[in-house]
Amino acid sequence: MKRNFLSISVAGAVMALSSITVLSASTLASASTLTAVKFVYDFPGPDMEIIPVVVAEKEGFFKANGLNVSVEFPPSTSTTTQLLTTGSGDIGFITTSDMAVAVEAKAPVISVANYSMTNNWGLFAKPGSTLTLAGLKGKKIFSWGDTWTNAMIPFVLKKAHLKASDITIVTGSNDTPLLMKGTIDFTTSTTNYAIPGITEATKSAPVGIVGAAAGVPNVPVWVYAVTHNYANQHGKNVRGFLKAIKAATIWASQHKAKAVADFMAAYPKSGYSKFYSTKGWALTVPLLTNAAGKYFVQTNKQWTTLATALKSVNLIKSVPAPSTYYTNKFLP
Amino acid sequence: MTKKKLLLNIFGPILSVVVLLGLWQAIVVWGNVAPYIAPKPWDAIRAVTSNWSTLAPLTWWTIKETIYGYLVGAFLGAFLGVVLNKIPLMQRVLYPLLILTQAIPIIALAPPLVMILGFGVMPKVVIVAWIVFFPVTVSVLDGLNHVDKDLMTLAKVFGANSMRRFLVLEMPAAITQLFSGLKIGATYAVTGAIIGELAASSGSSLALYQRSASGSLDAAGVYGTTLLMTAIGIIWFLLVVGAEYLATPWQRRSTARQWRRGAKPVLTNN
Repeated sequence: MKRNFLSISVAGAVMALSSITVLSASTLASASTLTAVKFVYDFPGPDMEIIPVVVAEKEGFFKANGLNVSVEFPPSTSTTTQLLTTGSGDIGFITTSDMAVAVEAKAPVISVANYSMTNNWGLFAKPGSTLTLAGLKGKKIFSWGDTWTNAMIPFVLKKAHLKASDITIVTGSNDTPLLMKGTIDFTTSTTNYAIPGITEATKSAPVGIVGAAAGVPNVPVWVYAVTHNYANQHGKNVRGFLKAIKAATIWASQHKAKAVADFMAAYPKSGYSKFYSTKGWALTVPLLTNAAGKYFVQTNKQWTTLATALKSVNLIKSVPAPSTYYTNKFLP
Repeated sequence: MTKKKLLLNIFGPILSVVVLLGLWQAIVVWGNVAPYIAPKPWDAIRAVTSNWSTLAPLTWWTIKETIYGYLVGAFLGAFLGVVLNKIPLMQRVLYPLLILTQAIPIIALAPPLVMILGFGVMPKVVIVAWIVFFPVTVSVLDGLNHVDKDLMTLAKVFGANSMRRFLVLEMPAAITQLFSGLKIGATYAVTGAIIGELAASSGSSLALYQRSASGSLDAAGVYGTTLLMTAIGIIWFLLVVGAEYLATPWQRRSTARQWRRGAKPVLTNN
């Protein structure tokens, strides 16, 4: 779902080394009095969705909650849960489908807060194209090959009354150039990644079918997760982290330009332009609160909906109790 | 070859693989490693056998990418090695460029190749060929550059033309070196195919199967496909070793072949 996978992966190793110090640089002096927490992102490189963490560090929200948070980037997508279970990370940022798969594999992880509240995933085409579910047959559709995309495509096919063999799934490292060249017909992504990327490349907004219109279940896409062990032994850290993130998220929603500037300063070599990050963050902010304007709150319904949906496309074998997936007890 | 040496050649590698698998098993069991982090060896093997109907066409596809790319790379590498040796000016001009090609990270090369060549087998073939040709070129060039100068002069004195000198003296001298390059290329060829598959694939591939297994925390599937990829590399390497065995009989024999017309058996004191 994220842009430019391979090029960012190349920089990933450098980022992994540098980011640990970049984010914690301002607190080095007082680091010894703060509790160290390792945050693991969901992607090999940083992008604008990490803004709440960057702002929490930069604007002192972590420090105010007694935390010294370092950021780690996984070697590939969908490995964040494994890093949590091996103790390489304390708090992770993962997709809800990763969470469902982890529970299925009996990995002892639990979601402690929603990041986003709705499903903003869908299909996108270059500006001026015609994109309808009825017209998908015989088309080349780009996939990032991640668990979330693998989980969502069957729903699109179901809604379009198509079989998997009716379309060609193409997997690669960067969708936008392929879309522009016409090598692929459509790409798959979330609004906050696809729209900035395609708009930046074409100077026009892409055509898209998103969420329910694409036939996908309306469930949150990303969550913060920890291991059961970490939740039990370091509940104070989890609570402090979420308190700081909430304050930072609200601050970053109110000061979007400054939040993006903080991100660009923290990760000047992220590979994303100011335009992309600004547009992306502006599109992310509305996703972060539920209908009641609340941050983080998870529900039984969202997890049951997700698990039932994933079972229907054979990504998981059983639908466990929703409490298996989440807890709201650490919410600020 | 004595019987003892033959047994050692057969059972030595098998023993080392068994020891490696034993170590793997011990680490997983004694380290109490969760199955979604690392599986036991048998579970990884079972992940391949139980999904063979899915994996077989993907494996065959990867093998084809590997073979096509390898053959292109090997031919190109050998040809370049000869050309660079025969035309010293070309060697001075092109050799730095050849080194430059290997300094380019393959991972950065893959996306532009996909843009130009599409999602089919071609980008993978180019990537594999890109990896394979360099060790072959260097090996051939090295072999040709180290032919005994006195022998070359002698052949010239006896009236052998350049083609004759190449066939009788230079090629046999370079062939041992050539196989060194081919063996290095064989071990890297599968890696190239997998990088190509990760960079872009239409439909499915072994690399995407592995990525999907990783996303599903199916460590047995991840390790299983790794074993499969490794097996392709090893089998390909062994085939090259077999070809070397057949192509370089003088490495095993100190006497001349007796089937040559007019040749008489050479008696030795052994």
